[in-house]
Amino acid sequence: MKMKSVRIIALKKDRKRILEHIQDSSLVHIRHFDECENGFERVDTSAQLQQFERNAALTEQALKILDRVAPEKKSLLSSFKGRREIEPEEIGKIAASSVKVIGICNKICDLDKQLADSAAERVRIKTALAQLEAWKNLDIPMNTPDTANTAVFLGSLPKGYDNTSLSEALAAAAPDLLFEFEIIFSSSNITCLFLVTPKSQKETADNALRTLGFSRPLNPTSKTPSEKAKRFRKKDGELVRKSEKDLETLKTYARYRESIEDTQDYFVLRSEKYKVISELDQTKNVFILYGYVPEDDCEKLSEICKRAAPDCIIEYEDAEDDAPVKLKNNAFAEPAESIVTMYSPPSKKDVDPTPIMAFFFYFFFGMMFSDAGYGLILIIATTIGLKLLKPDRKMKNNLNLFRYCGVATVIWGLIFGSIFGDAPAVVYTMVTGKAITMQQLLPWPILDTQKDALTIMILSIALGLVHVLAGMCCKFYVCLKSKDYAGAFFDTGLWMTMLIGFAVLGAGIAAGEILIKIGAGIAIVSAVGLVLTQGRDKKGIFGKLFGGLGSLYDITSYISDLLSYSRLLALGLTTGVMAQVFNMLSTLLGTSIPGIIYMIVIFLVGHAITIGLNALGSYVHTMRLQYVEMFSKFYDGGGKPFEPFSLNSKKFKIKNSNDQ
Amino acid sequence: MNGMVFAILAATIATVLSGIGSAKGVGSAAQTSMGVLSEDSSMFGKMLVLTLLPGTQGLYGFIVGFIIMISCGILGGNEPTLMQGLGYLAASLAIGFGGMFSGFAQGKAAVAGISMCAKDEKNFSKAMVSVTLVEIYALLAFIVSLLMVISIPGMKI
Repeated sequence: MKMKSVRIIALKKDRKRILEHIQDSSLVHIRHFDECENGFERVDTSAQLQQFERNAALTEQALKILDRVAPEKKSLLSSFKGRREIEPEEIGKIAASSVKVIGICNKICDLDKQLADSAAERVRIKTALAQLEAWKNLDIPMNTPDTANTAVFLGSLPKGYDNTSLSEALAAAAPDLLFEFEIIFSSSNITCLFLVTPKSQKETADNALRTLGFSRPLNPTSKTPSEKAKRFRKKDGELVRKSEKDLETLKTYARYRESIEDTQDYFVLRSEKYKVISELDQTKNVFILYGYVPEDDCEKLSEICKRAAPDCIIEYEDAEDDAPVKLKNNAFAEPAESIVTMYSPPSKKDVDPTPIMAFFFYFFFGMMFSDAGYGLILIIATTIGLKLLKPDRKMKNNLNLFRYCGVATVIWGLIFGSIFGDAPAVVYTMVTGKAITMQQLLPWPILDTQKDALTIMILSIALGLVHVLAGMCCKFYVCLKSKDYAGAFFDTGLWMTMLIGFAVLGAGIAAGEILIKIGAGIAIVSAVGLVLTQGRDKKGIFGKLFGGLGSLYDITSYISDLLSYSRLLALGLTTGVMAQVFNMLSTLLGTSIPGIIYMIVIFLVGHAITIGLNALGSYVHTMRLQYVEMFSKFYDGGGKPFEPFSLNSKKFKIKNSNDQ
Repeated sequence: MNGMVFAILAATIATVLSGIGSAKGVGSAAQTSMGVLSEDSSMFGKMLVLTLLPGTQGLYGFIVGFIIMISCGILGGNEPTLMQGLGYLAASLAIGFGGMFSGFAQGKAAVAGISMCAKDEKNFSKAMVSVTLVEIYALLAFIVSLLMVISIPGMKI
């Protein structure tokens, strides 16, 4: 679609209204210049921006916490659903309640932090309790001081001892030490002991114990260990109760989920608006907005701006070459735009390949998926989706894409005589006991993918030739448009006649002598033409000749392109065979009641698998045929996509706004 | 002497070799995707699709094995001659080896795709497309095996 570049000049007091209207209408792709024009300045909105982004991040965090503690029940289909529509006034309400909602988000985050703190505290208590466990038999405080005449040692040795071995070890370390001890706890690698010595021998005892690796407890208290453990347990219990309460409170906040989501959208929208404001050129009283707008929408834009600010000035100019691209197609081709954009939007030199590609996309997808039953399922599912879910434009296009693909699938399914594989024939055989094939059952002649595989292979490659030639026609057109006549007739035209020559020759092998001669004639003339013209950029007679001869080598790439279309047969055959195998498996147990139940289960599961695998395969390989075989002939891409300044919200959209 | 044993061997080769390919492919993809899921369990759907992609080879092998069984007298059909049995054996090699090695390769591609998708969920469709491209070689092997297997009962050998 043709783009206009637009310049809107308006009074600063109308800035907010104009921007809001433009954002609602999503008509304008805003241009950003790094440099400000002379005499103008930019407003620094980074403080507000930061504030909005912080709030948006806070709501995001709060939503994540809510999702964790109180997951929302979501149906599988909800992701296809369009945004909720709200009245324009409602955004004011959301704005008004945003302070409150941010408060709630803060509370949610605080509660979550408290929960995390409690959990960490409980881990600490658990470790402390584990340490105290060894001392539980001690009935005096851990920091019992020395008495008047005795020195007290309380601590652990890093080795297992019993009474005898400890006495021996101590005697060995300090032969003349007098001591009395009690082992509180002993295991293979630790011994907790209580030891008294006469005060006069404190030094000696200290040294002796140190040689054995004695260490005092880390944080001794004036409580006995059992008392201390009791305290810890009490505290732990309190923490558990508190956490439970906090969690309950947190769960009650789940009812605010929707308003938090709305508030998040609100802040995202505002931060986008402020980002645009920071990029506007402004003076004291006026501001200028530069952008691109599709030609058809110019009037609408003028009207909107005039309504928002009667004294604004709007100027349109033809856009330059690097303008963003917005594709415009009829209802049949529009769903395939996403396929083109996924490759790359067209640049100024390219033609929009969507219309021609859309047809081949549906056609080839149908040939690969090739089952009337599956096609019908696609049509029904996408139609229901379109009716019930009211999806946004993008999802609507995707659903439409598969609806058209479904139609093509039904047609090819009928040609190949495949309706859930050979389900009708299988059912017929079960009911009547007579064996029958789909060919006998269906009143029209069918192409059996298994018996007529060779015919379908030839058909696939013939269709591939048509596809490639269509791509080359586009190239021809592009060359003519850019007045590159040599490119059009020599580079593209001669190869086209060459391929047509081979096609006629191929048809001649089946049909008769004359066609072979005609085909060979065309091919030879084209080849001579190629040899004479392809070296035209080279210097010298030999350079030209060898350049021309070398170009004939390109025939290999055309052959490999054409052979690549055999995947049309391959995927079509796979769908049919998989469906038939599952039909066969489902009838294994015969017509008894358990047999019928088994049949229904296998039938449903089997066909679900077939649909899933083959729909994916057909989609990917159809795309590949477009990208690799067809686009390589004429399409460069590299354009910028048209990304209008719009309401980029997740959950709501404002009613009556032009949803693009 | 008929070719029954060879037909059975053929069904086994078709199913087992391609099954090995799929098992290894899905196995390594599943390991990687579980690593991703431990960080973010909301990606389960996407991870499942990428993990299952190398799983088709096993299915193709099974289909060939199944068709051999229904046409060589195990689940129906007539007993094959010796040469027909050998024919089944030869035909099953295509999907056996094709399925096994493409399963390995697709598993590796799936692992890379999963890592890519874990960095940015938007990469999912690109990862899926790239991983599916390996599929065509398993598919070609399957078609070759299949077309041979269904035409062997009619051969006068």
